[in-house]
Parts: sequence; C-alpha cells; structure tokens
Amino acid sequence: MNLEDELKLALRRKEPPPGFRQRVLAATRRPRHPFRNLAAAALLTLLVGGTTAHFIEERREGERAKEQVLQALRITSHELRDTRQHIHELTK
Amino acid sequence: MTLIADEVEIEGPDPLARARSGDGEAFAELLAEHESMVYSLAYHFFNDRDRAADIAQDVFLQLYRSLVDIDSHAHLVHWLRQVTTRRCIDQLRRRRLRPVPIEEAEHLSSPSGDPTLGRALRQLVATLPESQRLVVTLRYQEDLGPEEISRIAGMRLNTVKSHLHRALRSLRRMLEGS
Amino acid sequence: MRKAFLALLIFAVTTPLQAQKVTIDIPGLAEKAREVVDITLDAQMLRLASKFLSSSDEDERAVRGIVSKLEGIYVRSYEFDKEGEYDHTVVDKVRAQLGPSWKKIVNVRSKSKKDAEIYLDMRGGDQPLGLLVISAEPRQLTIVNIVGPIDLDQLSHLEGEFGIPKMSKRGDHE
Repeated sequence: MNLEDELKLALRRKEPPPGFRQRVLAATRRPRHPFRNLAAAALLTLLVGGTTAHFIEERREGERAKEQVLQALRITSHELRDTRQHIHELTK
Repeated sequence: MTLIADEVEIEGPDPLARARSGDGEAFAELLAEHESMVYSLAYHFFNDRDRAADIAQDVFLQLYRSLVDIDSHAHLVHWLRQVTTRRCIDQLRRRRLRPVPIEEAEHLSSPSGDPTLGRALRQLVATLPESQRLVVTLRYQEDLGPEEISRIAGMRLNTVKSHLHRALRSLRRMLEGS
Repeated sequence: MRKAFLALLIFAVTTPLQAQKVTIDIPGLAEKAREVVDITLDAQMLRLASKFLSSSDEDERAVRGIVSKLEGIYVRSYEFDKEGEYDHTVVDKVRAQLGPSWKKIVNVRSKSKKDAEIYLDMRGGDQPLGLLVISAEPRQLTIVNIVGPIDLDQLSHLEGEFGIPKMSKRGDHE
C-alpha cells in the first residue's frame, strides 16, 4: 500500500450537501450586504487606474490583521466567559 | 481567403470581475466553482458534514463581503484556502475540541486493499493534531507543495515539512495496528 | 528651577494617561508546545485592521468600536501534549511587571481544571486602561494583554457573534 496515494484518494474533494448553494445565496441576499457598496468600490478602483502593488499588499496585510484581531478577541472573550462560568460552578 | 471557425468562443468579463460589480449570478458561478474545495477542506479537518457545511457557508459569506479585495483568480483560490483553514483552526481552539484519542482510533485501521481504507484514513487524519491535520489535508486534497502550504497556513517551511513527516509516520503506525 | 517644576507639573497633568503594555513572552515555552497562538497587534496594526472591518456588518462594527480605542492586543497561547510539560511559575515574571495601578479582580484556583487571574489597570480612575488575563490549565497556558480603554462586558459578549458557525446537531461521521 502506498500511503500517499491512498491519502490522495481518501482526501479527494467532495460535493457539499444538497441545498448548500441555495442557502449561501439566500444568505447573501439578506439586506445587511448591499451590492451597492461593492459596485461603488469597483467603480472607484477603475477610476483611479487600478490598484497599485502597494495597495494590494496593504489590503492583504489588512485582511491578515483583521483576522488576527478577530481571533484575539474571540480568545479573550472565551477566557472571560469560561472564567465566569467556572466561578459560577465553584460557587454553586 | 475566408476562415470559418468551427467554434466561436466569446469571452466576457470573468465571473470574479462581474461578481465584484454586483452580479449575483457571477457570484453563484464562483460558488459553484469553489464550493467543493472549501467544503472538503473543512470536512477533512473535522470529518463532520454538518460542521463542514457551516464553516463553508461562513467562508462564502465572508467572501461575498470581501469581493472587492480580491484581485485575481489566483488570489481568490489562495484567499479561500487560507480563510477556510483559519476558520477550522479557530473553531477547534475556541470550542476546545479534542481529536479522537489515538487509542480509540487505532481500531479503525483496516488492511490495505479493503474498500473502507479511505474511510479509515479520513477518520485517522481527523485524530491528528491540528497543524498536522491541516498540512496533510492541504497536501493531499489540494496537491499543494510545502511552500504553498506554508503561505496559506502562515507556518515556516521547515515546520510544514516536519508536520507532514510526523503525520505520515503517525498514520503509518496507526494503520499497521501497532 | 521653579519654572522647570511648573512645566513638569503642567506636563504631568495634561499628558494623557498611557496604558501599560505587559511583556507576555515566555522564552522556551513555544519549543515545548504542540501548538502556539502568537498574536501581536500594536496601535498601527489595529488601525490597519480597523479599515478592513466592515461597517455594514453589525458584528464587525462592534469589534471596530472596541478596537478603535485600543493601543495594542497581545495573545500568547501554548498547548501541550501532556500535563506537567510547563511550570506554572513561568508566569511569575509576567505578574512581576504589574505596578500598583493593576488590580486583580478575579483569582480562581482549581486543582483539576483551571487557574485563572484577571487584572485591570485602573490608573485611569473609573475606566480600566489595560487588561491582563492569565489562564493556566493542565495542558494549556493562555495569556492575553489588551492595552487601552476596556469594557469587560462588551468584550465577553463578543463570543457567539461575528460568523461563528452554528453547532452541528450531531457529529455526522461517514
């Protein structure tokens, strides 16, 4: 048995369950995500002559920083709530 | 001289550009093209269909909000892989999930040639520590090299190689039923 | 001399109170850990991240509100394979940096589960200007330092929002 070949077979891509695509598209149509903002941002990008390398890099860094902020705050929030729950259990 | 083509292919703006300008159908095309990749990354990480579908849905909703920041097809694929893997790890840590202990997983191993080997392998992969699991999934599901994996996962190249090496060793050991 | 003293006094009174960043790096621990979370976000990175937090997304807007006032977020979390792989006294050096303005508001000790300490920097009076969380479990050590004005209630209510997937009804294994 070649383990790596077996892994490629075992881990090949699968289709998501039926209805997945419809659920995602339905969620995108909810009012809090208007397409107007996207269209305006795309138009602005065209008007200023496309994105510069610096701009692209800043966006990537910004996205990374944003993910880290969200992760850090999730961890913090979890620790605070976990501690509160722990105190509650100990003082019951 | 007149040349008559058998097929005429008219190229329009690609789905990414159209989706960025607000075309809902174009976003649906992007979804159709990439949903199995995103879903499968999450599925092979957790070996859990419901959780994988939830994560995949959130990734695409985040994509929908972030389309304006995606500048090319290559960037889109990289972004999807990166965000999916980060969400998987984040959720795992957040919920303090523990992988199935190795002792429990050992009985799942099957002799080679058995049709359930694939299922057994998937379950064993899901017992690996998260970084090894991530590296194995990206390597064998997406056929990515260590350099690309290190960029997606934010790990050093040597760390990726080390995780891969240890993961394969663990999987071999578990399959051999030691 | 008197002019210099007056100048110093005016400076001290009018300079905004600076929150204190605590050094939470613990040398040698990352090498022993199976998994490490290492997040370092200074004021500049927080401003950059804020630009990418959506204002049309209610949850990200809440995060943006919190982050806009902060000067830094630092997280170190180490997960180990086995119990006893780290010495709980390693955090003594972190505690030793805390001056008199830091107040310990929570101190939980539990032999089997988790020791947790929460400190607030009260140099600003009523408004905490810093947060330090030390959470020590048998196989995991997490330290969080947030520098800047803190609202604990706001922070602890963040969990469960911004795109956290719903819990599956059952673990569906093939």
